[in-house]
Amino acid sequence: MRDVETRPKKYGWIVILALLLASLPLITAFSLLILSSFSTHMVTDLSPGSLHPTLENWINLFHGKIATTGGIRVNIWRIALNTLIVALGVSGVVTGISALAGYSLSRIDFKGRKSMMVLLLLLHAFPGVALIVGVYLLYRLTFPVNTTFVGLYSFVYVILARAALEIPMSTWLMKGFFDTIPWEFEWSGIIDGASRITVWRKIMLPLIKPGILAVALFSFLAGWQDIIYVRTFLIDPTLATFIEANIEAEYSHMPLIAAAGTFYLLPTIIFFVTAQQILLQGYSGGIKG
Amino acid sequence: MVRITLENITKKFGDFTALRDINLEIEDKEFMALLGPSGSGKSTLLYTIAGIYRPTRGRIYFDGRDVTNVPPKDRNVGLVFQNWALYPHMTVFENIAFPLELRKAPKDEIERKVREVAEMLRIEHLLDRHPWQLSGGQQQRVAIARALIKEPDVLLLDEPLSNLDALLRLEVRAELKRLQKELGITAVYVTHDQAEALAMADRIAVIRDGVILQVGTPDEVYYKPRCRFVGGFLGNPPMNFVEAEVEDGNLIVYGNRIPVPAHYRGIIEKLGVKEVLLGFRPHDAEIVRGRGEGLVGTVYSFEPLGREQIVTVSINGAMVKVFAPEGEHFSFGEEVTIKLHEDRVVLFDRKTEKALEFLSG
Repeated sequence: MRDVETRPKKYGWIVILALLLASLPLITAFSLLILSSFSTHMVTDLSPGSLHPTLENWINLFHGKIATTGGIRVNIWRIALNTLIVALGVSGVVTGISALAGYSLSRIDFKGRKSMMVLLLLLHAFPGVALIVGVYLLYRLTFPVNTTFVGLYSFVYVILARAALEIPMSTWLMKGFFDTIPWEFEWSGIIDGASRITVWRKIMLPLIKPGILAVALFSFLAGWQDIIYVRTFLIDPTLATFIEANIEAEYSHMPLIAAAGTFYLLPTIIFFVTAQQILLQGYSGGIKG
Repeated sequence: MVRITLENITKKFGDFTALRDINLEIEDKEFMALLGPSGSGKSTLLYTIAGIYRPTRGRIYFDGRDVTNVPPKDRNVGLVFQNWALYPHMTVFENIAFPLELRKAPKDEIERKVREVAEMLRIEHLLDRHPWQLSGGQQQRVAIARALIKEPDVLLLDEPLSNLDALLRLEVRAELKRLQKELGITAVYVTHDQAEALAMADRIAVIRDGVILQVGTPDEVYYKPRCRFVGGFLGNPPMNFVEAEVEDGNLIVYGNRIPVPAHYRGIIEKLGVKEVLLGFRPHDAEIVRGRGEGLVGTVYSFEPLGREQIVTVSINGAMVKVFAPEGEHFSFGEEVTIKLHEDRVVLFDRKTEKALEFLSG
């Protein structure tokens, strides 16, 4: 990490302190959640007495026993898989479409390009919840009659609907990445005999790897974290809807839900810890000269 | 190996006219330099030949074949960019092989050709590296190799040396010229460096504001500039320009009277011009100490350059630069006389700034 060396570093710690204070409520909440998942009772304050350490919650979670009493069992892996399918689906659709659309908006001079970019920004400004009535109407209209496809259909639908919310911003992001690539790379490819799609695939995509990675990660997390669309359209539960449904259920054991919540947080934590390096460093080859 | 004909090429970007009615013939196997200041349209012209830009008006022919609407890949041109545009995610081998891979050439043929061209450019030991592991000179060779591998009919170069340091530039300059002749390939070379153009090209087209001002051999554009701009753009230091008036067979130059050069007498008589610009190159004159026949002035400054020195002389206020041998020692304010090599003098019309011999025609 380098910085201009003219800035006095003396007050750096004040900034850090302020940031720490501002994020204190969040840090506390997450700590309580994670601690509770390892405790027999919910940890509601930070006094050491309220923590009764146990691994039981995690064991029960992975055994599918979501209640301490009663015989209700769920397969948490199945639910996690559902979540993963939605998240990967959203990520794949968003990355693919925005990589193509971002390239077009950055490099191809077609009619309506300017207005399309404005429209994309406008679309991004709309909250997804506001659209849900219309999206639901479409869902009902296209709902399959044959019940064997209902599960599959609800997955495809929720992935497409959720991806549609992410695409405007991701496309803008991708366009920004494509904009930074000098035209010469593209011209060079075209003169050497490549079609636009070959140029896109073989020259441009490798050059904007960090952009692709960023979009893929953010849309993955969007899919992973989504609750409203999943709750509305998906017939099978995901981690989000599972936790939500069990918070209010009478039979639920809260520390176990905390374990489920912590489990649900894992990808987010992992991605931000591992990917921040990649996101910050950019393409190591760089564009020199 | 193709002859390029540009016919009335005009290129507009919106309201801005980048090229205006360009007519140019580039002969087979010729090394043509497009020389001009930045923003003159020389790169635009190059990209128009390559097919990246489509001319707004006009036609382009390769050996009589109209290629105006032919896409770049079917023109069989090789292009070396100013920033070389080497793909950073590919190795040197992959970079050079890329044009052949796009043509779906067989693997062993690609391998053989890449080695061949790499050997020719002496980069065969770098094939496994990535572009960012190479020095500027090496990257440049890779870019040239990539342009040459598909055996193009035309080699287009867009200021390929401008990212190299001065010494390396001189070296590559000589090599590139040699390479072009050995391959016998038609080359178009864009540059803003007049020394590069003079050193390398068979012919030079001087461009300014999207118009070709003059096309000719380096000798022609250097010694017989058609207009003041060409004279001032080529040469280092550039041509001197001094205002002069014609008075019965003589030129009055800031109080000095010298005879009209022999090759201009007829033209001046015919045109009847009275006010001209006297142009001469710094090495086409001699400095003599003291007052004599010629342009009398005082030494304003002098800059020793090793083998020779540039002496700036003030002729009653008009500054001119003249080369003098290294041994001479001048002092500030010293009175000197400049004796022009009469046959090398160029006279320009003061209004149009065109050389008089081109004004009549």
